[in-house]
Amino acid sequence: MRVRDFFVFRGYHLFVLIILLLLLGFVLMSLRAKERKGVEFFDALLMEVCSPVQKASTLVIKTVQETFQRYVFLVNLQKENRMLKQKISELQAGNHRMEEIRLANERLKQLLQFRGENSLSMIGAEVIGQDPSSWFKSVTVDKGERDGVKKGMAVISPVGVIGQILKTAPHYASVLLITDYNSAVDSIVQRTRAKAIVEGKGENRCELKYLLRTEEVAVGDAVVTSGLGGNFPKGLMVGEVKRVDKKGHGVFQYADLAPSVDMTQLEEVFIIVGPLPPSPHQEEKVKKGKKGKK
Amino acid sequence: MKRVILSLFAGILILILQTTLLSYSPVQRIRPDILLIFTLYLAFLFPPIFGGILAFLLGYLMDLFSGNTLGFYTVSRPLVFLAAQFFRERFYLEGFFFQSLFAFLFSLLEGIFIFILMNAVQPLPLRNLYPLFFTSLLPQSFFTGLATPLLFFVFQKGSSLLFRQPERGAKEIGYRP
Repeated sequence: MRVRDFFVFRGYHLFVLIILLLLLGFVLMSLRAKERKGVEFFDALLMEVCSPVQKASTLVIKTVQETFQRYVFLVNLQKENRMLKQKISELQAGNHRMEEIRLANERLKQLLQFRGENSLSMIGAEVIGQDPSSWFKSVTVDKGERDGVKKGMAVISPVGVIGQILKTAPHYASVLLITDYNSAVDSIVQRTRAKAIVEGKGENRCELKYLLRTEEVAVGDAVVTSGLGGNFPKGLMVGEVKRVDKKGHGVFQYADLAPSVDMTQLEEVFIIVGPLPPSPHQEEKVKKGKKGKK
Repeated sequence: MKRVILSLFAGILILILQTTLLSYSPVQRIRPDILLIFTLYLAFLFPPIFGGILAFLLGYLMDLFSGNTLGFYTVSRPLVFLAAQFFRERFYLEGFFFQSLFAFLFSLLEGIFIFILMNAVQPLPLRNLYPLFFTSLLPQSFFTGLATPLLFFVFQKGSSLLFRQPERGAKEIGYRP
């Protein structure tokens, strides 16, 4: 018996197939939008099957690449360059943290919060694959649910924010980069404390949105996380303002932002798995709650 | 059936190449969509039912490894496959130029279709994505088109080795209703 004999309307089998495939696609889209467990389980299963091959492929490519870079072209320069870059990254990260602490002291913020920021529980993960499409910006990492990774957890590097966990499998996870159009990070301009939302613009660019027109923002201003979204701790470097657009009218102004991390060169990342220090908003709520009880 | 399973494995390998080897390209936007080229090639190799299901599965896998949370490629890839099946009998598809143009147009149309879907499901307008037409979609479609003749040749060689069939041009391969 041939497969096409199973179709009741044999003459219309192609038409039926198109309708069925489209229907199935839209049903899957709807189930994903509702975050149904069944689809998530199936996604995780497929990811678990395919990711080891992806990991092996990355390993082979990296090994070949490193062999060429280290032994054929330059023996020690590559190593030294990497060390220097790492040191610059560390110094930059330290610098931003210091600036945050100084500003917070000026406004009489509690020091405990900053101690909390430095005692974040993080795990390191290796990037094993990039997004196959041109519209979306994500990477696959080699840490998953078994390592304590959960959906929505913040992913950072010593230089700044990278994104957040989008999908998880037992040993792998997918990270939505801040440059993806679906990404939104609650942030503040470090110098003026102006609040805004950083949205992805693709191609290693972001946009600062919902920034009040009355707020002062200039090219070169650093933008850090506000800690209000609940996913990212306060004070992590997001990027630098590259262009400010007042748009002539309206309540808001917009700014182009270059992320502090080069998303095209990601290799190792940190996932914040521990609880985040309470945000100023949460602290206020707790204080109000205590006052209410008294 | 063996043909379908082998093609699915080949598709998975191509997807992994796209997410690993091709991402090492210094300029991300010139990365061709080789899985799309493979889907187009399947249109010459498979009948609509098996090919459609295969394209659906490849789209599903593409969604799984992308930051796409809803699954647009699961919808678009079977459509690309079926549209390519429709056009393969109606156009001359031999030669570098025609194959490149064929893939370029499909890549561009799929991008526009996905953009329309994104706009349909997103409550806010996606003003941010308009520049991507010129900075990302157009160059990627162009390079997808450029890579197509070479990859069609590689896929032809591969399928003739795997399925032990004589090598034929894109126009002559596969199912004829």
